[in-house]
Amino acid sequence: MATADPSGVVMNLPRRDARDKLLGRTRYTVDRMPPRMLHAAVLRSEVASARIIRIDTTRARQMPGVRAIALAEDAPGMHGIGIADHPLFASGVIRFHGEQIAAVAADTYEQAQAAARAIEVELEPLPPVLTMADALAPGAPLVHPDWKSYEILFEGGARGGNVAWEATVIRGDTDTAFARDDVVIVESCFRVGRQNHVSLEARAVIATYEDGRYHIETSTQVPWTVRNMTAKLLGVPASQVHVTVPPVGGAFGQKFDCTLEPYAAILARKSGQPVRLVYSRQEEMLTCLCRENADIKIRSAVTEKGEIVGREAVVLMDCGAYGGEQIFLTTMTAHTLGGNYKLGSIKLATRAIYTNTPPNGAFRACNGVYNTFALERHTDEICEAIGMDPLEFKRRNVLGDGDLGATGQVFEGDVLGSMLDRMERLREKSPSKKHLAGDRLYGRATVVGTWFIFVGPSTATINLNADGSATLITAGVELGQGTMVQALPQIVAHELGIHPDDIIVRNADTDAAGFDLGVGGGRTTVSVGAASVAAAADVRNKILNIASELLQTRPERLVLRNGRVEIAGIEGSGTTIAKVVQRAHQVTGPVVGSGSFTNPGVPAMPGCAAGHFIDAIDIPVFNVHDCEVAVDPETGHVEILSYKVVQDVGRALNPRAIHGQIQGGVTQGLGYALHEEHTIGEDGCIRQDSLETYRVPLALDTVPVEIDLYEGAPSIGPLGAKGAGEVPIMNPPAAVACAVARATGCRVQQTPLTPPRVLAHLLGREPAVELPHIADNWWDNVLTKPKTQ
Amino acid sequence: MPTNLVINGEDRISSRGSMTPLIDVLRDEFFLTGAKVACREGICGACTVHLDGRPVVSCLVPLGTVEGRDVRTVESLAVAGEPSPLQLIMEEHDVVQCGMCFPGILMVLTSFFQERPHAERDEIKAALVGNICRCTGYERLVDAAVALARRS
Repeated sequence: MATADPSGVVMNLPRRDARDKLLGRTRYTVDRMPPRMLHAAVLRSEVASARIIRIDTTRARQMPGVRAIALAEDAPGMHGIGIADHPLFASGVIRFHGEQIAAVAADTYEQAQAAARAIEVELEPLPPVLTMADALAPGAPLVHPDWKSYEILFEGGARGGNVAWEATVIRGDTDTAFARDDVVIVESCFRVGRQNHVSLEARAVIATYEDGRYHIETSTQVPWTVRNMTAKLLGVPASQVHVTVPPVGGAFGQKFDCTLEPYAAILARKSGQPVRLVYSRQEEMLTCLCRENADIKIRSAVTEKGEIVGREAVVLMDCGAYGGEQIFLTTMTAHTLGGNYKLGSIKLATRAIYTNTPPNGAFRACNGVYNTFALERHTDEICEAIGMDPLEFKRRNVLGDGDLGATGQVFEGDVLGSMLDRMERLREKSPSKKHLAGDRLYGRATVVGTWFIFVGPSTATINLNADGSATLITAGVELGQGTMVQALPQIVAHELGIHPDDIIVRNADTDAAGFDLGVGGGRTTVSVGAASVAAAADVRNKILNIASELLQTRPERLVLRNGRVEIAGIEGSGTTIAKVVQRAHQVTGPVVGSGSFTNPGVPAMPGCAAGHFIDAIDIPVFNVHDCEVAVDPETGHVEILSYKVVQDVGRALNPRAIHGQIQGGVTQGLGYALHEEHTIGEDGCIRQDSLETYRVPLALDTVPVEIDLYEGAPSIGPLGAKGAGEVPIMNPPAAVACAVARATGCRVQQTPLTPPRVLAHLLGREPAVELPHIADNWWDNVLTKPKTQ
Repeated sequence: MPTNLVINGEDRISSRGSMTPLIDVLRDEFFLTGAKVACREGICGACTVHLDGRPVVSCLVPLGTVEGRDVRTVESLAVAGEPSPLQLIMEEHDVVQCGMCFPGILMVLTSFFQERPHAERDEIKAALVGNICRCTGYERLVDAAVALARRS
């Protein structure tokens, strides 16, 4: 068959779910109320570390309206990513303030809360370990004294004591590089805090138990993870868990793990009634799986001409009381802090550290956001030390075609370099807003960043219906990002020669769709998209074979367009797809196609990376951001004057929708750069427990982002696409921090750049970030031992 | 004691306690789930409804204070299923993402445009400071609102 022009897939298809969302008719998980539904509440620890002496539910069981109580014995399993270190309920010990002790289902939420409060818990408090410095101190109490006994789910990471996981990269000989007499050595330290997703729809679930199976309706990004983890925790076969996903009211990575679903599942089985559990905003603020706080030390050996001959870095990620996503995310330092630039030699260590604090998780571009902040500020410090313009330095050093990444993977195409050119043109096109700074200090920075598409397994099934429409069945979820209502129907419609409006997209249902890794990491358009293309190709072949017989024309001469099977080059010839499907019903049966996809596995250099879940990235995604700021010297307030983005999108399938993702992602990144931060008190409790004290960007904080979509970089994604939703958040903290440092002449080592912090910088009162718990000798920081020493 | 109120033009009687937040009455008793509960502390604006024509955050309005008063929710903006001009322009500009904040934003802007139909961009942004949107970064939905103000 003559293949259709791939540019035909590109359109600004509007969202099909917009109208009901605007009319207030969309039913998110929080809006669903099946008959006889009970309400659940969770009893949480109010200390950070303790031994549990006794739990007594006698009084709680007699409270009005109570139907079921769930405790540790109802969930014998442990879960995690990499290591199964996390029980559903605190079992024997409390490891963080807010940890779940019991769950109650009652006729009303108030009754459930009252009964949860009536559960008697006797605790013997233990000294908590609240910071990574404390956790790494000699003789520190262990958050998990039994760490050695845990089931390992992924081999390869070094572990020990409060080090939940350690990933290292060693390529080349940094010792020789740092000993050269023609290099300048630049060392920088950085510290960042936690960021809360603040999805407007809190985590929410409704569970029922029917015919010996759990049905879990939940606000999640990962229906298959919820299915498998719930089964593992409850100790039942995974086939007994059925997960469906209504429209999701925001997620941003927060819902990339199984969290509250098993509580509702246990309570539904025990009570025999549907059970709804919705976390309160306070619970979301105190126990959200945040972007983790981190400490970063990085040093580089750079020649006068700006060649980076050696780089060593240690990144400490606070995983909180349980390893969770941070175990996996240790991988990403190699591809972010170790990314962007050509490096002669490199040593990287990334360690997920246990503390008695609420567990952290995944948040849009994860540690890439702060690693990019650290890398770009470090780059500016290098440029200052060698007296080179940062843009000139970037041009000389960004990875190009054939260059090696940190783990020795070979990059394809001169992408970042030509994106810097595009940014230069964008800057020329749009005059500087410096005049708006007035009497304030003015700064500007252009920064680069590398992220990746988290590929991995997906599958799709397409039923071609006798009316000419097609039903696409996948486990993809619509979170608001638009993939399920825009990119996927566009891709399938393009392959089948019908209009996207004629593609019915099935909501995620693990009983209907096959395995999928979930929606996150910018992977849906790519992985679910590629599986959908394969399924559509299967359908197309079947259609063409039947049409070939009907039209007495060889399949190679037929094309699918405008809902018809036509003879190539003869518009209006042939017949409708609907008629071909109707014919198929008589000769072969209904037309169905299936397709699958998984990551092809780009090779790294053998022996470079240890403890990494992904040694090399299949689809890199590059960013260039530019930001102008004005800093008020009286108040320390930072105003964003302009913001520009050149983003590598492969092929922009729906440019307008991508613009929406970029505006939204940049805004979230500006929040993290300027005012969003969780801090932890001496009691181990997060200090900001509401939206009053945790400050997210509001309408008056934003600026319109000027956008240039960079197309044509290599991608194995369908039709050359890359995911576009995750990466816009990566660079704003880097861009803002570099611009503020240039505006003020101050050494910015920490975000967020709140007015008090910036003012303290200007007054010389901001203490320098020093990280004495990260040793100067790289080897002293790692459990890994040198091979030849 | 039951409370009489008018919701979207219909006489209704709620039997909930007088301290019950209006949002819970609307959602749990009358199944008007358009207004969202996202913070319960009056910060996010997702639960905004009109009370006697003025926008209020319904999570902070006790049922006992609305006896005999007129309540309008996002469900009332469309007439006979036909979206309002504000709803249509948001749809046309493709600005919705997860959509949780839009019911509140629409109620605030509907009221705002009644008083300031030709408002400028800065005024529109200022009107929205009580509504948190975590997806869109605001600018594109403000673009849509500006387009409506120019059109009227």
